[in-house]
Amino acid sequence: MAAVGSAKVALQVAEVLETIVSCCVGPEGRQVLCTKPTGEVLISRDGGCLLEALHLEHPIARMVVACVSSHLRKTGDGAKTFIIFLCHLLRGLHTITDKEQDSLISKNIQTYRRHWKNCCQWKFISQALLTFQTQILDYIMDHYLSKHFLSIFSSSTKERTLCRSSLELLLEAYFCGRVGRNNHNFISQLMCNYFFKCMACESGFEEVFDLVDDYFVELNVGVTGLPVSDSRIVAGLVLHRDFSVYCPADGDIRIVIVTETIQPLFSTSGSEFILNSEAQFQTSQFWIMGRTKAIMTHLQSQNVKLLLSSVKQPELVIYYAGLNGISVVECLSPEEVSLIQRIMGLSPFVLPQASSQYEICNTALVKFCKPLILRSKRYVHLGLISTCSFIPHCIVLCGPVQGLVEQHENALHGAFKMLRQLFKDLDLNYMIQTSEQNHTSSPLTCKNSRESNPLPESVNGLIQRPYQGTIVKNKGKLAKTQTYLKVYSNLVDPSIELETYTPCSTPKVISADTYQTDETLRCLSPTKTSIIDDNEPFIESNSANSTAENTRIEISYENLQVTKIAGRGNILPVRDKSLEMCSSQSYYCSTLPAGCVLPVGGNFEILLHYYLLNYARKCQQSEETMVSMIIANALLGIPQILYKSKKGKDSFSQIYIRTLHALQTNQPIVSSQTGLESVAGKYQLLTSVLQCLTKILTIDLVINIKRQPQEMYDQDSEEEI
Amino acid sequence: MSRLEAKKPSLCKSEPLTNERVRATLCVLKGILTSSYGPSGRLKQVHNGLGGCVCTTSQSSALLSNLPVTHPILKILTTSMQNHVSCFSDCGLFTALLCCNLIENVQRLGLTPATVIKLNQHLLRLCTSYLKSESCACRVLVDFSSPQRLLCLVRSIVTSKPACMLTREETDHISALVLRAFLLTIPENAKDRLVLGKSIIVPLKGQRVLDSTVFPGILIEVSEVQLMKILPIKKSDAFKVALFCASLSGDLSDTGDGTVVVSSRVSLENAVLEQLLNLGRQLVSDRVDLVMCQKVIHPSLKQFLSVHRVIAVDRVGAALMEPLSKVTGTQPIGSLGSISPSSYGSVKDLCPAKFGFKHFLHLIPNEATICSLLLCNRNDTAWDELKLTCQTALHVLQLTIKEPYVLLGGGCTETHLAAYIRHKTCNEPESMLKDDGCTQTELQLITEAFCSALESVAGSLEHDGGEVLTDMKYGHFWSAQTESPSVVHWPDLLSRCGCGLYNSQEELRWSFLKTTRHPFAPQTCLPHEATGSTNNLILDCFTAKLSGLQVAVETANLILDLSYIIEDKN
Repeated sequence: MAAVGSAKVALQVAEVLETIVSCCVGPEGRQVLCTKPTGEVLISRDGGCLLEALHLEHPIARMVVACVSSHLRKTGDGAKTFIIFLCHLLRGLHTITDKEQDSLISKNIQTYRRHWKNCCQWKFISQALLTFQTQILDYIMDHYLSKHFLSIFSSSTKERTLCRSSLELLLEAYFCGRVGRNNHNFISQLMCNYFFKCMACESGFEEVFDLVDDYFVELNVGVTGLPVSDSRIVAGLVLHRDFSVYCPADGDIRIVIVTETIQPLFSTSGSEFILNSEAQFQTSQFWIMGRTKAIMTHLQSQNVKLLLSSVKQPELVIYYAGLNGISVVECLSPEEVSLIQRIMGLSPFVLPQASSQYEICNTALVKFCKPLILRSKRYVHLGLISTCSFIPHCIVLCGPVQGLVEQHENALHGAFKMLRQLFKDLDLNYMIQTSEQNHTSSPLTCKNSRESNPLPESVNGLIQRPYQGTIVKNKGKLAKTQTYLKVYSNLVDPSIELETYTPCSTPKVISADTYQTDETLRCLSPTKTSIIDDNEPFIESNSANSTAENTRIEISYENLQVTKIAGRGNILPVRDKSLEMCSSQSYYCSTLPAGCVLPVGGNFEILLHYYLLNYARKCQQSEETMVSMIIANALLGIPQILYKSKKGKDSFSQIYIRTLHALQTNQPIVSSQTGLESVAGKYQLLTSVLQCLTKILTIDLVINIKRQPQEMYDQDSEEEI
Repeated sequence: MSRLEAKKPSLCKSEPLTNERVRATLCVLKGILTSSYGPSGRLKQVHNGLGGCVCTTSQSSALLSNLPVTHPILKILTTSMQNHVSCFSDCGLFTALLCCNLIENVQRLGLTPATVIKLNQHLLRLCTSYLKSESCACRVLVDFSSPQRLLCLVRSIVTSKPACMLTREETDHISALVLRAFLLTIPENAKDRLVLGKSIIVPLKGQRVLDSTVFPGILIEVSEVQLMKILPIKKSDAFKVALFCASLSGDLSDTGDGTVVVSSRVSLENAVLEQLLNLGRQLVSDRVDLVMCQKVIHPSLKQFLSVHRVIAVDRVGAALMEPLSKVTGTQPIGSLGSISPSSYGSVKDLCPAKFGFKHFLHLIPNEATICSLLLCNRNDTAWDELKLTCQTALHVLQLTIKEPYVLLGGGCTETHLAAYIRHKTCNEPESMLKDDGCTQTELQLITEAFCSALESVAGSLEHDGGEVLTDMKYGHFWSAQTESPSVVHWPDLLSRCGCGLYNSQEELRWSFLKTTRHPFAPQTCLPHEATGSTNNLILDCFTAKLSGLQVAVETANLILDLSYIIEDKN
C-alpha cells in the first residue's frame, strides 16, 4: 500500500516540524534565529517564516509547507497551529489504521470491523474528511459553537463600533504568539494606538484595515540601533527618501505629483530629431530651458511649494525649483505615489502641451512638509490632509538589530491581515438531514451496532464523560436566551464585560426531531456508534435527487443586517423559514458575523472537541463518526501544548475538566486567559488543515526523479523562431 | 539563463546557548572586548591575511567592523553593538560587555528564559527610570554657559581611546580643538529651532598632533600648480561666488528615448563649447570672482575664466556641496543657460594656505556654522583612530545639546546603579513580583546576576592587576594598585574614585567588588555644589549610555530567548 506509506511519511515529517514549531507557540513560546545565505540574520517566531527557512527536501514536506503558506497568504495567522493540528490528525489516523491491522491479524472480524476493513481506504477517509469539512463543520459551528461567540464590537449601540478594550485583548493575544515576550505588550499597545489614530470615524475602520494592509511597507520606517521602546507613531506620512531640494515653507503647502520629467527632451521614444545646424541645436536647448523655467514659474504662481516626482528630474528642474521656492522629492516608488493618491484623492499633474497659461487643477494641500531625521538618515515628512477615512500616520519601529525590527514589522502586518479577515463575514454552508427514513432506520442500525461492538476506542478516554443528560441539557440551553460570559481580566480594565447572545429557542423545532431520535438512541445504547450504511454514501444519494427535493435557502443580506444590529444570534430568521420547509435535506447558508471572537487558551478547540464528540455520538455513518472523533481528539493537541508548562490548577487536564463540566451544566465558562482570538481565523485554519490532509491522503505514490528540471518553455521559443 | 539548482536543506540546531562551542566563542569575544575597555585598555591589532591595511585600535566601532564573526549568535550581538555605535558613536564597548556579562551570568543560573526575561525587563525599567529621575546621583546637569563640563566630557572621550597615542598635552590640545569646532557649528542667532552646522575633518597625516587647528569656513585642497595659477588673489571686501552642480565639461545632456540625427557638417562639440563660453561671458559680466563646480570644468572655459581673473575650482565632489552652499549662501546652479542673479553667493575672504605639504584654498564666510578641523597625527593608523575619536566626541556633544545631562564616568555610574538596584529589590520586592508569578528567590538570583554584570563592566576598567572596590556610602568605583590585599588602610592607597568626584579622605568604608556584601542604600540626590568644585571629572554621554544599557539588556534577552537556530546553507 503505497498510500499508507505517504501517510506514514507525512506523520514523520509533521512530527519533526511539530517539535520545532511547538517551542514557539503560545505566550511561553521562544524565538528562533534564521540565517540567510547572504549573511542576514532574522529572528522569528512566525511559523510560516520558519517553515520556509528550513528548505525542506521531502516532497510531502514541501507540500505541507506550500499548504501552510497559502493559508498564511489568506489569513496571516496560524502556521504553527496548522502543523500541530495536522500532526495530531495524522497520529489519530495512524492509530486507527494500526488497530485495523491488528484486527486483521487476530481474525476477530466483527461487523463493525468488517465494515471498516471494507471501507478503510485512504481515499475513502479523505472523502469523509472533505464531507466533514464542507458540511459537518459548518453545521457544528453554526448550531452549537455560535452561542459561545463574543463580539469585538460593543453591542450596546446600533452601529458596529469597535470596542477598544476588546481590540486590545485580541491584539495582545495575537502578539503573544508572534513577538518576544518582553515586547508583546508594547507592540500591541503601539498597534492599537496606531489603529485608533488612523481611524477618522468609527464606521470607516474596514477601509483603514484595507489601506494599511495594502500599503504596510510604505507606512512604517525601521530604525536599527535604538531600543524597542523608542518605537513610536508619527502623524503624517514618512517617505523613505530625502529631499532633492528643500525650501522651508510655512502654512498650507500646495503639492503636485508628476510622473514624467518636467524638462522636455530632444526626442521622445519612437520619434527622430534631426539636427541640421549648430544654431538649431542651441535654439532648441534654449527653448528647453525656457520651457522648464516657464513651467516651474507657473507652478510657483499657483502657490505650489512641493513637487513629488516618481522619476528622477534633471538638474535643470531641480535648479529652477530651488529658485522658485519649490521643494522636490524624486524617485518615489509607484506604491508611494498610489498611496498618496488614495489618501488625498490627487491625480498626477499632466504637463500641458502648449506653453500657454492654464489652471492646474491637480493640486492638494498638506499641513507641513519637513525633513525628519531618524538615526542620522533623512526622510521626508508630509502632513497629508486625508480625504478618506484613513488619517495618515506612520509607525517608526526601533530595535537593536534589523532582524528584530523585521520581526515586529511582519507581526504588525500579520495583525492587520488578521483583523481584516476578522471583520469580514464568513459564510457557512451546510446540509441538515431530517429525512423520515433516517429516523426510522436509525434505531435499527443502532441496535445493530449495539449488538456488534462497544464503543470504538478512538476516543482517547481522557475523561469519562457522563453521556446521559447532555442532550436534555442542550435543549435547556437553547431555550435560554442569553448567556453572559464574563472575562475576568486582571489587565488594564478589570471590569471588561463581553457579552454574548445565544440564539433564541426557535431552532427547537428541528432540534426536537433529532433530539427525539437521540433520546431513543440513548435508550438503546449509551454508546451510539457508527451506523453501517449499506447504501452508497450520503452525498451521492443526495446529488442524485438534489433537483427534486432539495430547497436551497439563501439569506437576504438585509435580513442579516437586521439580526446583526440587534446583536442577537445570527441566523434565527433563516432557521425559522427552513423549519417550515421540513424537507428531507435542506441546504443552509448562514453567516458567521464579522468580529466574532473567543477567549484564547484553547477555548475554541475544547468547545469544538466537545460538540464534535456529541455529534459523533449522534450520527449514523461510521466514517462520519470516525472522522469527527479523530478531529475532535486532534483538536485537543493545541491546548495541551499551550498549557504544557502550567501546573496544578492551570494544568491542561484541570482546565479541560472544568470546561466540560461548565458546558454540561450549562454554566458560563470562566477562562483564566485574558486575550481574545478570531473565530473566523480558527475556522479557516481548520478547513485549511483538512484540505491539506485530504491532499496528503490522496497521494498514492511519490516518484523521485534525480535529474535537472527540464526547461518547459524551450520548445515554445523554438517554435516561435 | 540562470542555472536551476535545488536548494540544500537548512541546518537546524536546538538550544544554541548550551552548546560548548558557542560558549567558548562568546568567552573569546568577551575577552577581546574586556581587555580593550577604558583608558588603560590594551590595543588590538587587526590585520587581514589577504590584504588591506593593519588596524590598531581599542574602539568598538573599528574593532567590530574589522572582526568577522560566523556564528549567528555572535553576529546578532556584534550587529546590535554596531547599530548602537552608528546611532550614538559612544559606549559601544560598554554595551557589548554588559550584554556578554548578562548572558554569561544568567546562563549559570539555569532558570527558565521566561522568568529571566521578565525580571531583566523589570530591572532595566528600574534603571532607566532612576537614571531619568531627579533624584539620580550619578547624573549631572550640563551648564552651557561654562565650557568646563563639556571639556571634561570631551577629554574623557579622548583619553578613553589609547590607540590615538596622545600625550597629556596633546590630549588637552585635541579636546580644546574639538570643543571649539563644535561651538563654531552653533548658529549665533538661533531662532525657535536650532540647526547645527557641520565640522569637516581635513586629514593631514605625518604632522605633529599639536599642529592640528580649527578654522571657520572651508578648506578646499588644491594642487600647488593650480594655486600658482590662481595667485595672486586680488583683494576686495567680498568675493562673489557661483557654485555649479551641473557638469561644465561640455557633455551632452540626456537626449531622450528617441533618436537624434546629426548632419555631418554639424559639430555638437562646438555648439556646446560655444554655450559654455557664453556662460563664461555671463559670469564675467556678472563680476563673479570664484567659480566652483562639483564636476569637471572644460579646459577652454577654465582658460577663459582665468584670463578674466576669475578663480575656477572644479571636482569639488558631492560631499562638499552642501557645506559649500551653506558657507557661500548660494543655491547650486543646474543650468548652463541664463543664471538668475539670486543664485550667486559670497564669501568674506579667500586666501591660500599651506599646511604641511598640502595647499588649500581657504573660504572664510561672513557668518556660517561650518568649520574645518585640520587633524594631524604621526601615522595613518593613529590618525584613523584620532579621526574616529574626534567624530565620536563631536557626536556626543551634539547629543548632549539635545539632552543636557552627563553621567559620571570611570565606572562610578555602573557600581552606583548596581547598589541602587540591589537595595531596591531587597527592600521593595513586592512591587516587582506582584504581576508575574515569580518567586522572591528568582528575583534575588536575577538581581545578583544583573548587578554583578554591571559591576564587572566597571571592573573591566582595571587592567593592571589592581584591586577594584566600591565604597559603602555613594556606591562609587575605586581602584588601587597593591601588592598584597591584606593592607587594611585603604585611604592611603586610594586617592579618588573613578569619576574623580570623591576623595578617599572622607570617612568611607570600602568593600571588594567581587565579594558579596550587604545591600545598602547609596546616597541619592547629587548636591549641585559637589560637582561644581571639582574640575577634572570623568564624564560619559547620558543619551548614549542610557540607550546602550537598554540595547544591551534587550539583546541579551533576545539571545537568551533563542530555542533554535536555522542556518541556511545555500
